[in-house]
Amino acid sequence: MKLIGKRIEKDGSGHVTVVPEDDEDMWHLYNLIQEGDRVRASGIRRVQNVSATGSVDSYRIRINLTLAVTRVNWSPSTAPGAESGNAAGSSNSGPTANATVEVTGRVAEENMHVKLGAYHTLAIEANKNVRIEKDAGGWDSIALGRVEESCVPGRGAEVAAIVCGEGTATFCLLSEHMTVVLQRLEIHIPRKISTTSSAHEKGLARFYQSLYQSFLRHVPYSSPTLRAIVIASPGWVRDAVFDYIMSEANRTSNKPLLAARNKFIKVHVNSPHVHSLVEALKSPEIAAQLKETKFAREGMMLDRFFKMLASDEMRAWYGPDHVALAADRGAIGTLLISDELFRSSDAAQRKKYVAIVEDVKQKGGEVLIFSSMHESGQQLNQLTGIAAILTFPLDIEVVEAEEREAKEEEERRKAEENGTSE
Amino acid sequence: MNQEELDMAGLNLNEEAPREIVPEEPPKTPAAIEKLIEEAKAALTAQEQGEKQSLSLVVIGHVDAGKSTLMGRLLYELGRIDEKRRIANERGSSKMGKSSFSWAWELDGTQEERERGITMDIALQTLLTPHRVITILDAPGHKDFIPNMISGASQADSALLVVDAAVGEFEAGFERGGQTREHLLLVRSLGVSQVIVAVNKLDQVEWSKARYEEICELLKPFLLQSGFHPAKTKFVPVAAMEGVNLARAEPVGCPLYQWYKGPTLVDLLDALEPPSRDINAPLRFPISNVFKGQTSGICVSGRVCGGVIVAGESLRIIPGDESATVKAIDSDGDSLPWAGAGSNVNVTLTGVDPISLSVGSVLCRPSHLVPLASTFTAKIIVFDIQVPITAGTSVELFHHSRDVPAAISRLVATLDRSNGTVLKNKPRVLTKNMSAEVEISLRNATYSGPASRVLPIPIEPFSVNKDMGRILIRRGGETIAAGVVLELLA
Repeated sequence: MKLIGKRIEKDGSGHVTVVPEDDEDMWHLYNLIQEGDRVRASGIRRVQNVSATGSVDSYRIRINLTLAVTRVNWSPSTAPGAESGNAAGSSNSGPTANATVEVTGRVAEENMHVKLGAYHTLAIEANKNVRIEKDAGGWDSIALGRVEESCVPGRGAEVAAIVCGEGTATFCLLSEHMTVVLQRLEIHIPRKISTTSSAHEKGLARFYQSLYQSFLRHVPYSSPTLRAIVIASPGWVRDAVFDYIMSEANRTSNKPLLAARNKFIKVHVNSPHVHSLVEALKSPEIAAQLKETKFAREGMMLDRFFKMLASDEMRAWYGPDHVALAADRGAIGTLLISDELFRSSDAAQRKKYVAIVEDVKQKGGEVLIFSSMHESGQQLNQLTGIAAILTFPLDIEVVEAEEREAKEEEERRKAEENGTSE
Repeated sequence: MNQEELDMAGLNLNEEAPREIVPEEPPKTPAAIEKLIEEAKAALTAQEQGEKQSLSLVVIGHVDAGKSTLMGRLLYELGRIDEKRRIANERGSSKMGKSSFSWAWELDGTQEERERGITMDIALQTLLTPHRVITILDAPGHKDFIPNMISGASQADSALLVVDAAVGEFEAGFERGGQTREHLLLVRSLGVSQVIVAVNKLDQVEWSKARYEEICELLKPFLLQSGFHPAKTKFVPVAAMEGVNLARAEPVGCPLYQWYKGPTLVDLLDALEPPSRDINAPLRFPISNVFKGQTSGICVSGRVCGGVIVAGESLRIIPGDESATVKAIDSDGDSLPWAGAGSNVNVTLTGVDPISLSVGSVLCRPSHLVPLASTFTAKIIVFDIQVPITAGTSVELFHHSRDVPAAISRLVATLDRSNGTVLKNKPRVLTKNMSAEVEISLRNATYSGPASRVLPIPIEPFSVNKDMGRILIRRGGETIAAGVVLELLA
């Protein structure tokens, strides 16, 4: 994403103008734009004119519209990857966006074609300016942090992952903030019946072949930004898949694919489902290569949280209320929070979470904002979306009792005050 | 009457009383089929008192304990493999430089299994002992193939545990993370209550009586703790490669018989109790394999989990809207007119697109459909786990031959293990050896948000059909809990 202009007042109101470029930027926009914001972007609108004689003519024009947002929609890309593998040159044409963000709202600035208050839905387009204007308090540290993060050039290290089992394969493309499932392949392989039947072998051969075809179609193996191609599976499927891909590449003398040989990493996972992607990413082979990427860090931190939950339950808390209590006591060492919580349409909710994040940061704690487009983020979402590893053990029961007491005390005090004032 | 009135009448808009919606009657089973079903039930009831009772047996144990070798040898001893076949297997295996796998060759049929010298999927064979017809399901021991092992174990009523007596090998299989433990827990949770323990490779420890007894003593407390009744657990020393103490006891020549006077493996197999079958329940046939038949039609194999299936009837395939006609039923090469609950059979179906048949689907009668669910509550027992279960834990749910990604969406209550009373409502975590009531939701495999629908699976509460109500929960290659379905929610 490119930052075109930024003007933020002291009270947190103001506007930011950016140019989204790829899918990831669309995801950032989806997280930045909230209900009540004003978004200005170019879009196509059908305009109807009724002439004096009553004839109606309608035409489409491209205009810049400013909307007061009432709803934001996100749909991830399902189309094949940015560039297909065998067209190595196409990587020069720049990344394209397949994911879409749709902003619905009422027009906030009238122009000669569109009346004030008319409804419109803008599909945010790549490589076009988007201006986001928020009211006082809207540009909090989280939002500004996201703008900054999204405009750092040179990110975009990508990893392709194939999670496969016998007869099933899922192709995923992982970037900093997103995991995109490109294709799910399912080939029925008859299980072994008797020693004489070759149905099983035939089924396997069919599976490898379609897997190879999908691989060529979806995995941008020659792209320089692709850091690694992970093949993860239980059993020995990954070896067989790798061998098949390499032998096919040899047979068809696919030079770019042969050159990408050292990008392949084979990892053992325990199940062929997509959620074992987290398991694959925390395996030592990959962790060493991708240590600094966001998704690897998230996976490792979530793993640490679960380990802490196992070894010292009093130092691993989850759930918004509990984490808020821990934050009050300054006990949070690492905060794991899902970006979904900041997307809440309730401004007060968002403010509450922002306050927790700022509080933890101020006290020297580490904050990781998980992307819910990653498997680790999905798992955090399942776990209420917020969790914390504490620096010292705290017993929930004790803390809750303390809170109750404090509340009762407060009420008693209030009651007394009321009593004396009357 | 003018035109307008006629138009309105045609639209049926001005009718006074709303028309009652008559639910469509499920298609009736044709009388001929009905009669056949009755006949089958009568015949099966008679058979239960008869001479040869049938049951199925899953062979379990740690990887390389010798499960396939033991079965291969046993098949040979009982005359199921002829000499010619044995020589062919021997030649084939020595050609690959794996002559020690010659007995396992018979069961490990695929090329990959033979190359690696390891069982990867269930092999199905039939054994005839003097009083029993035993369907053998040879399970893989490697932990990556536990899904296949579960698929096999869910089709069995009893188990044969093979343990390696060699020093260090038994211990490796029995310690934490070894498959001896996990397999035993799995089969017990899947409703298997009888187990025979074959202590294998005794020849490698000089037929030591002390070693045999040491192993028995180590296993007994664990078996009891896992819920196997001591009266239903039997131990037998064997040596699969040499074929000692399998079918015949040969007192001369083998040092084993200097101290062992007990029954042989076949004697024990012959004494296995067949479980009671529920042939009056509605038909349930979970599919464990789909393949092309020898002639026309498509073949599915699996075990009848309730009721009877007869040739000629029309069955629904759940999930889906498809129906298929049963063309033939066969078991071990013999064509059968019907098959009752508990029997492992191949069913040839016609009049159906193979695409609508998949492993994990259930065949049932149109009059008694199996319910579908994507969220349900279950009573689970948590195994010996390191990382506790929280609400939202991502798991794999195993139900018959199907495994699907799921999440423990809610922890309802922890229960007392002995009497089932509620100890604590809404616990924060479940730790090892707890018993609890939880809500399980199937997970979507993509990230496209709530819009995409989760596909429900055919499942029934345990109180309705025991076989259809058992679930296993695994995470990260480790079985973390087993349970029974209480109630279907959505």
